[in-house]
Amino acid sequence: MIELSNLSMHFGGVVALDNVSVKFTAPVSGIIGPNGAGKTTTINVISGFLPCSGSIQYMEEEIGQLPAYKRSRWGLRRSFQKEQIADDLTVLDNLKVILDTQPRSTIKTGLSADHALEATGLQDKRFTMAAQLNNYERRMVDIARCLIASPKIIMFDEPGGGLSSSETHALGELISVVHSLTGANTLLIDHDVDLISQVCQETLVLDFGKRIAFGPTRNILSDPKVRSAYLGIEEVDG
Amino acid sequence: MKRFLPLLWLVLAALAVFILVAGKTPFRISGLFLVSGLAVGALYSLGGIGLVVLYRATGVLNLANGAIGALGVMVAWQLGHWGVAPSLTWLAALVLATMVSLIFGRLIAPGLAHRDPVVKTVATLGYALVVLGITAFIWEDDVRKFSLPTDQMAAIILDLRFTVTRMIVIGTAIFIVIVIWLYLDRTRVGLQMRSLANDRQLAALIGIRIVRVETIAWGISGVIAGFTGLMFGDLVRLEPFVITFMVIPSIAAAICGKLESLVGVLVGGFTMGIIESLLTLSPTLKSIRPVAPFVIAAIALFLMQGGRPLVFARD
Amino acid sequence: MTISRQVWLGLIAFLAASISLPSIGSGQWLSILTSTSCFVIAITGVAFLYARLGMVSLGQVALMGVGGWVMLRMNHAYLLPFELNLMVAVVVTMVFGWILALPALRMRGLYLALITLMAAGGLEVIFATFRFPNGGEGFWGVMPSVAAPFRRPEIAQSDSAYLRYLITFVALGFAIIRLHLSSAPGRAWAMIRRSEAAALASGVNVTYYKAWGFGLSGALAGLAGAFLAGSLGLLDASTFRASESILLFALAVVGGVRYWYGVVIAALLLRVLPALFNNWSLDPDLALIIFGAALMHSIITAPQGIAGQLNDLLAKLRGKHD
Repeated sequence: MIELSNLSMHFGGVVALDNVSVKFTAPVSGIIGPNGAGKTTTINVISGFLPCSGSIQYMEEEIGQLPAYKRSRWGLRRSFQKEQIADDLTVLDNLKVILDTQPRSTIKTGLSADHALEATGLQDKRFTMAAQLNNYERRMVDIARCLIASPKIIMFDEPGGGLSSSETHALGELISVVHSLTGANTLLIDHDVDLISQVCQETLVLDFGKRIAFGPTRNILSDPKVRSAYLGIEEVDG
Repeated sequence: MKRFLPLLWLVLAALAVFILVAGKTPFRISGLFLVSGLAVGALYSLGGIGLVVLYRATGVLNLANGAIGALGVMVAWQLGHWGVAPSLTWLAALVLATMVSLIFGRLIAPGLAHRDPVVKTVATLGYALVVLGITAFIWEDDVRKFSLPTDQMAAIILDLRFTVTRMIVIGTAIFIVIVIWLYLDRTRVGLQMRSLANDRQLAALIGIRIVRVETIAWGISGVIAGFTGLMFGDLVRLEPFVITFMVIPSIAAAICGKLESLVGVLVGGFTMGIIESLLTLSPTLKSIRPVAPFVIAAIALFLMQGGRPLVFARD
Repeated sequence: MTISRQVWLGLIAFLAASISLPSIGSGQWLSILTSTSCFVIAITGVAFLYARLGMVSLGQVALMGVGGWVMLRMNHAYLLPFELNLMVAVVVTMVFGWILALPALRMRGLYLALITLMAAGGLEVIFATFRFPNGGEGFWGVMPSVAAPFRRPEIAQSDSAYLRYLITFVALGFAIIRLHLSSAPGRAWAMIRRSEAAALASGVNVTYYKAWGFGLSGALAGLAGAFLAGSLGLLDASTFRASESILLFALAVVGGVRYWYGVVIAALLLRVLPALFNNWSLDPDLALIIFGAALMHSIITAPQGIAGQLNDLLAKLRGKHD
């Protein structure tokens, strides 16, 4: 269970997050909203890249005070809008970067690098230089990195960027099994409403840094308030 | 107001040095060093201003500015040696410096448009070597002197003797900061320059002609470099290597302004010059006085640590 | 060329070099090779820092000066063996480098380049003012007349033995870096180079690993400077000017920062080319023009330097063979 309480953050004069409070309990939760709504800001705040007021708790454990690099060791993983893998390293070494920083306990109990690579279909590319991978494979490496060594919270920021619709569907299937593979809670940001409804049990809607709505995904996506704010469709009276 | 706090400590430091080092010396004497320090400090500021204006508009920290200035002043000296009128030699220096700056800006910098600032800066280092090499190659190693007619003229202000050259330099530094500030704030091109600095891609998208704005920035930077070179040649030493590496204290001044605030550069440069000059009066510290600008910049850098490390700084 | 091929090539080159080079008779060329080898060590430090971490150090020669200074001071102040003095020189230079660079390590990469440049400028003044120790009294240890002798290693007294000893350390330097690259620090560095944010998100303590990298680079500079001191017995401030630090970085890029042979090429350009120019009565300023142009060319179009282009050539030739 991930609980954000009164999260507020501003850049100079702009309020990026306005007192956002939400309790994520489902295995996979979505975060949607128009551009500039504060979705990426939210996960950047959870990552520890941005200072904020308010608290971030996982199972009653406060992580908002940890410096960014320690949060990963604690069990936070994420991917970025643009894949971030090191071209200089092999696929396996890209995973080892995270394993190097993890305490023994989480490595023992968690998914091994080999298992993670199998789950993402990269077991044959273990020793391939990351520079030689195609876009889909690079995304998969990003995801494999999130699966190893007992993650507690995994956050995906628009992981479907640049993927074809069949690749996106495969991605969705993978995200759906993350919880059974690792026991982690997943947060998924995306604009692809099909992916969100395929994968997320509950969804948070943000606009202008504020929480607009939160609840089971099907309800959220048919909520007229959400549709007008996010999908730009006129709010129908009555 | 909080922004100006670090500048305040700079001024206080200069004051402290003055009291500690020159407290016992009669003002008549310490004043001389104060004046010369102000002038050299103005030059550091000018160098820093040229760097910062260009950096803000293009993301390039042009380490070749010193070399460009050196080439300019050597040409000015050579023309003067051949009997050309002084005002024409100055003009030649400024025009040449501007052209050399524009050559890099229009022909070489575009090849680096999408690279990160460190790479762009390293490229200017290469250019500095080329320009310095050409200058040193053309003019054999020799002791030369560059002087302006204004060196002989002087005025007495507050009981201190200021040569007109020094007054020009100090005045120009302050004048340029004001002019550029007004330019960036009030003119359309200035506004375009500021939006370029903010977000280049966005600026292109809203129709700002990037090449035109950048050319102007390179031109302004070149003129300032040329002028600074002339003055370094007059007030410090006429030697290509020395003038080329005067870019280093200029960088120190630029750092005091955090690579963006012209007022910060101005205050930083002046205090560096003053402290460096006043240290001549201290028997213990006088041998390491040239190190003063670097120490000040290092402390400034250290104090800048205040905020959180920028994880997403696009640079 | 794959990594293991590079390593084999390196081993062969090392053996060949340590057998053949010290046997070159002429004193002048022996001394040039010795100073070149010192610079290979220093350039290695700058090269891996830029290639693997994207960090620019424009003060490496100045740090060599610090290493050389400590070596000379230790040699004249106490009667400790060469190796011990060497270790002290390396550690002091490393710590000195850290003190200079630490504030910049948490800021944008540009600031490290600037601060190392300023350090180069500042140290140039200090070396010129206080000169290098030659057996005199006091902290600075300088006396006006002829210098006191320098104690070389027990097993490497003669010039050619010293060169062989030095070449071993060159190989050691490369080996240490290769070891780093194949293990956790190297992986962390690669991630940092890709993106500091991604590195943080992977649990990498970015500042710590950047400091580690810079410390290693400084240690290598100290090693190089110490060996230079031992080779010449006395150091002169003109060797450690700011322009030399800039040239060193420029040539590292031109030579090729990713490969050991790129570093060797850079050292040859830095040390041997000016000597050749001298022999052919060419103006040394021409070297500046050539190096500056080569740097701009490398940075813009050939990021892997001369070594990279040799690699491509070799690959093409091998392609033709098959």
